Amino acid sequence: MTTATPEKVSKAPPKSPQSGPVEWLRENLFNSWFNGLLTVVVGVILIASAWGLISWAFTTAQWRVVPNNLGLFMTGLYPREMYWRMWALFGMVLTLSGVSWGVLTRSSAKLLTRSMLIILGVLVALIVVIPAVTGSEEGPGLLTPLSASILVALTAITVAAAFVGRAVTQKSPGLAQWLPLAWFLSYIAALWLLGGGLGIESVRSNDWGGLVLTLILAVTGIALCFPIGVTLALGRRSELPIVRWLSVAYIELVRGTPLIAILFMGQVMIPLFLPEGARPDRIIRAIIALTIFSSAYLAENVRAGLQAVPTGQTEASISLGLNKPLTVAFIVLPQALKTAIPAVVGQFISLFQDTTLLATLGLIELLGISNSVLANPSYLGRYMEVYLFIGVIYWFFCYAMSLGSRRIEEQLNTGH
Amino acid sequence: MAVSETYTDPTTDQNGSGGPVIVATGVEKWYGAFHVLKGVDLTVNKGEVVVVMGPSGSGKSTFIRTFNALETYQKGSIVIDGVKISHDLKDIESIRREVGMVFQQFNLFPHLTVLKNVTLAPIWVRRWAKAKAEEEAMRLLERVGILEQAKKYPGQLSGGQQQRVAIARALAMKPKVMLFDEPTSALDPEMVREVLDVMRGLADEGMTMVVVTHEVGFAREVADRVVLMDSGVLVEDAKPEAFFNNPQEERSKKFLSQIL
Repeated sequence: MTTATPEKVSKAPPKSPQSGPVEWLRENLFNSWFNGLLTVVVGVILIASAWGLISWAFTTAQWRVVPNNLGLFMTGLYPREMYWRMWALFGMVLTLSGVSWGVLTRSSAKLLTRSMLIILGVLVALIVVIPAVTGSEEGPGLLTPLSASILVALTAITVAAAFVGRAVTQKSPGLAQWLPLAWFLSYIAALWLLGGGLGIESVRSNDWGGLVLTLILAVTGIALCFPIGVTLALGRRSELPIVRWLSVAYIELVRGTPLIAILFMGQVMIPLFLPEGARPDRIIRAIIALTIFSSAYLAENVRAGLQAVPTGQTEASISLGLNKPLTVAFIVLPQALKTAIPAVVGQFISLFQDTTLLATLGLIELLGISNSVLANPSYLGRYMEVYLFIGVIYWFFCYAMSLGSRRIEEQLNTGH
Repeated sequence: MAVSETYTDPTTDQNGSGGPVIVATGVEKWYGAFHVLKGVDLTVNKGEVVVVMGPSGSGKSTFIRTFNALETYQKGSIVIDGVKISHDLKDIESIRREVGMVFQQFNLFPHLTVLKNVTLAPIWVRRWAKAKAEEEAMRLLERVGILEQAKKYPGQLSGGQQQRVAIARALAMKPKVMLFDEPTSALDPEMVREVLDVMRGLADEGMTMVVVTHEVGFAREVADRVVLMDSGVLVEDAKPEAFFNNPQEERSKKFLSQIL
């Protein structure tokens, strides 16, 4: 929210008379002979390594492996003739993201800041240019002209959706509260598009893979481990001894076990206990294992947040006549979760990265399918290219989460 | 004393000495081995303003916190408006609805606007409609002089303003008694007065109040009775003139000589 600073009274401090780039360099990088030396040494190291990477990327690297297998990286062994379903899924998520963006920024002055416009412009330019530049006689480019035009169309739809979401909720702000429900429904729709049934051909979960599988694993794991983690954290602070002991036992048991062991148990041991027909799908087993693991860590993050809420808050609430559940729901949890946001999002990022461990258990999520691609004799030895490519993809999603968490923190800041 | 219709029960007489609202008898409490309250008796009648004074660590805060069961007690009995405070959660919750409390550290909810701080309990405990609760809240905020801050968050207000919101928040439940636990001790000196003025206004309207404070001026002018606590014992219980001008007990004299 807005700050209480009276803007008319407090003027910005006078700018220092010299603030050109040369001055900046002198002040920040060369303000003593020692710092100057450090700047030079570090600069040389940085430039040398960056030069190494750039010259490798443009001369030695053979990037063919990426465009030739883009379908595999994105969707694994998903049948090609049903790629339209993946496009529909992607379009649905993008549209809903656009609407959400519009809704969340409905009270700010502009929908798109200048830097965002620039990013958007660069993005569209890249989409248009990439097929032309990367295509060659060896094979298709990173994007076929068809995919490129679909992407441009989707970008336009996303921006339009943002404008619509903003305009609609500016008129009737009450609609904003339906956004979580819309996301939940789109999750169901995503599973339907992915798995089929109910009128469209079904696709076995063994054929799900690539980035889509990674995202399904991560999103489901995050959505499940959050409520479980919060419940465990509250349970650990409960006044009922049995509830408290069970929560502590669960948290400490899971935190004392490596994730890979829990994943193995999920994939290898659960089927041994259950009869043939009752075995859950291995993607579901993977999600269960990830959720079991992350919820214990999340519980500790939330507990730290709970402990940061002063007892005076609870006292004030119960002295107004609110009972314990209402006090927790309205007073304690909102403040605790606000404090815990950075740690909780950190846990989400960990969970997202932990999905890569499932590659060792034979799931063909993004890392698993990359290993399969590398096993193809045509692409022997293309490790650097492939791992760099998927590394950038992982980075993109993790960084997006961390940006999102910072934004939420700013929005929730009601202090001075 | 002027008594408004708002806080008086029509069955009692109009001079501020209706039936007892708080009856504490022989209240004893231990923190582990430490004997905090050593058998304290206090009766507060309807419309009375009782100021509790005493050196720090004398158990005065602990004592008034037993009135809405923020502290438990091990011996004796406390009856609030005819309901005895026991271990029954239903009883405790019904008592807390009728007893408003104002804390030294304000304890406003920092994540809610001033208006939401005030309307939360009426909406969820009294089950009022939102519109009615907000109307009542605005009336109370106007009365404590912070109407224009209703949409702000507590962190954007001064200490004195926050404490006045806290008073409005407690009043929104239409309590039968108001407890004040050192309401001005955490305030900068220039803000003490605005809070005391609100409390004085409340007393003038006939609100039953128990106030733990070191503000001698307030005690002299507003209190019907002043009681002194020391080491978990209620030492003296007298009219303010008598208490300040002619204390009967040795410990009262000593205490007054330290603060006056």
